[in-house]
Amino acid sequence: MNILVLNCGSSSVKYQFINPDTQRELAQGIVERIGMSGAVLRNKRHDGDEIAISGEILDHAIAIDYILAVLLSKNHGVIKDKKEIDAVGHRVVHGGETFTQSVLITDDVVKGIRDNIELAPLHNPHNLRGITACINHLPDTPQVAVFDTAFHQKMSPYAYLYGIPYSLYRRYKIRRYGFHGTSHRYVSERVARLMEKPYDSLKLITCHLGNGCSMAAIDGGTSIDTTMGFTPLEGLLMGTRSGDMDPSVILYIMAKEELGSSEANALLNKHSGLMGISGVSSDMRDVLEEAQEGNKQAAHAFNVFCYRIKKYIGAYAAALNGLDAIIFTGGIGENSADVRMKSLSGLSYLGINIDESLNASAKNEMKITTPDSTVSVYVIPTNEELMIALDTMTIVQEKEKAVV
Amino acid sequence: MNKENPQKIEDLLGDTLPTQSETEQISYVAIIGIGVMGRGIAQAIAAAGIDVLGVERNQDVAEESMEVIKQNLDREIQRWAITKSERQSILSRIKVTDDLEQVTECDIVIEAIDEEFKAKEDLLTTLDDLCSDETIFISNTSTLNLTKLADKTNRADKIIGMHFLQPVPKVPLVEIVRALKTSDDTFKKVKAFAEQLNKTVVEVYEYPGFVTTRVIVPMLNEAMHVLMEGIASAEGIDTAMRLGYNQPMGPLELADTIGLDEVHTWMETLFHELGDLKYRPCPILKKLVREGKLGKKTGEGFFKYNELGQKIL
Repeated sequence: MNILVLNCGSSSVKYQFINPDTQRELAQGIVERIGMSGAVLRNKRHDGDEIAISGEILDHAIAIDYILAVLLSKNHGVIKDKKEIDAVGHRVVHGGETFTQSVLITDDVVKGIRDNIELAPLHNPHNLRGITACINHLPDTPQVAVFDTAFHQKMSPYAYLYGIPYSLYRRYKIRRYGFHGTSHRYVSERVARLMEKPYDSLKLITCHLGNGCSMAAIDGGTSIDTTMGFTPLEGLLMGTRSGDMDPSVILYIMAKEELGSSEANALLNKHSGLMGISGVSSDMRDVLEEAQEGNKQAAHAFNVFCYRIKKYIGAYAAALNGLDAIIFTGGIGENSADVRMKSLSGLSYLGINIDESLNASAKNEMKITTPDSTVSVYVIPTNEELMIALDTMTIVQEKEKAVV
Repeated sequence: MNKENPQKIEDLLGDTLPTQSETEQISYVAIIGIGVMGRGIAQAIAAAGIDVLGVERNQDVAEESMEVIKQNLDREIQRWAITKSERQSILSRIKVTDDLEQVTECDIVIEAIDEEFKAKEDLLTTLDDLCSDETIFISNTSTLNLTKLADKTNRADKIIGMHFLQPVPKVPLVEIVRALKTSDDTFKKVKAFAEQLNKTVVEVYEYPGFVTTRVIVPMLNEAMHVLMEGIASAEGIDTAMRLGYNQPMGPLELADTIGLDEVHTWMETLFHELGDLKYRPCPILKKLVREGKLGKKTGEGFFKYNELGQKIL
């Protein structure tokens, strides 16, 4: 079965064409600068063939036209007929309280995604554009929506409610939703395989540390808590996002610096985090380099970043009442041995013993704790596209069975 | 594959053409005249992710305007509103030329040249010959007769006014001005364009002062009369209006911010056009303008200001 996985942003569409049975990626690429001058599609085929196509890509529908054209192209493509695309899997950022798992897209589902636009005004409209375009281009091909928020939808009210008037939850659905769900689910399922234990018997903490960072506490395959909240701003320190702080700080800054809400929003989302504290960069590699050269602010940024991860490990160990494994993933989680070491140092009380040489050399899927460590720590590269393709395949197969 | 020299889709597919766009998004806008108003509009459009072609014959004005835009963006960074890379990408979207012919590539043409009927008439008739029949012309005039201007061209249905308020990138409002023959289709397209700029649209018909100028002028004038008649101090008047009616700025400081010469011109225009005494400029305003005390831009008007335009108490 061949699945086209789409991730539609405001001016870009990322895609992968995957066979989830063999887990083989046939082609992948990105359309950038949609609706602007200099729009371009870059495609990379499994055999290394690369091509860039520029053109007037005015909207998402045309972008998907281009993607289909490349997949079907004689010299650079991978299929001969549109029918060889068995299904399309769409990444959708916000499923709100409507969606607790991936679903086959119907008119009702489209309406449900539309109803949640207010919760993700920067993302859901573009995701919807991609869905509408695919329905028009491939009317007979099943489409599946996979939500960033769905995995966390089984949290209990005590984990998702904020300490503000309940009427605000009722009126505006203000609560913790959490994000990166597809990634947390993928790496936690992978770790169960690697540990050769049933997924539903494990107590896990997953750390997705990329551009955005979040952690999840997973009890028997269910996310019971996560660090991101109503928006992706809460929780861990990130490249340019502040993460947790006293909410009155922002009110105080707004008054002092006479900022409006859009400036305050940009301050917390674009000028804070590693960038804000270090004053150097939002990239962990630059921050570490500066810190090693004696830049104090950069060292503070690194320390705040790691300390917050450690604090949440403690919190989630308590929430889970036990712990089998911790998983690191995402750009920083997969590549920064320093971040893993610092975040996990001084946790011997929890039974965590890092093997320093394994940690330093970690590559692909790997365990980095010593054999006597009661809690295992794994590095697992995330693969949200594969997860989306697998979900899509499962749902389409169930649909076919139901029809038969 | 050569990444430097991307292929076109036609090279790949022969004559299989992809579907046409369903939504008409504006992606390239020309602004003729990038003086004080034009550069504000240019910055606002570029900040919305749209490419801008500024046409300016006067090299000094062009350079000064780019410098001012850079300074504005630097100030935005200091106020945490944008990042350095956003500043770069906004600047990269603004291209300046002295060659009017380049506007033929643009989806929309905005004129923001001096408020002289003959100059605007000449420009619009030149553009009329130059541009495709579909191109919409937007005039920035707030004092000239738009319907008369439109009649000088062969596309009166595609001519419309847009009245921005200063500072253009900050004020979330634009008045879209319909001339007598402006078509509904033109209005709809320009409204969508304004929404692309994240501006709220108020539809107005061509009439002196539209809504914003017409309503604010009598209030500013009245505040000046209250001051002149000794009813309260300038500070007192502003405090009363700020707190009493939840205005972010009192009327006298607002007049200083707009520029007293500008306010004076508005009043004269409305007074002459409409003839009502309520628009007759207050003597105290005339006096300040004569003395060259024009408000924030000169450091003194009804109040005194430092270089950053902050009121000195």
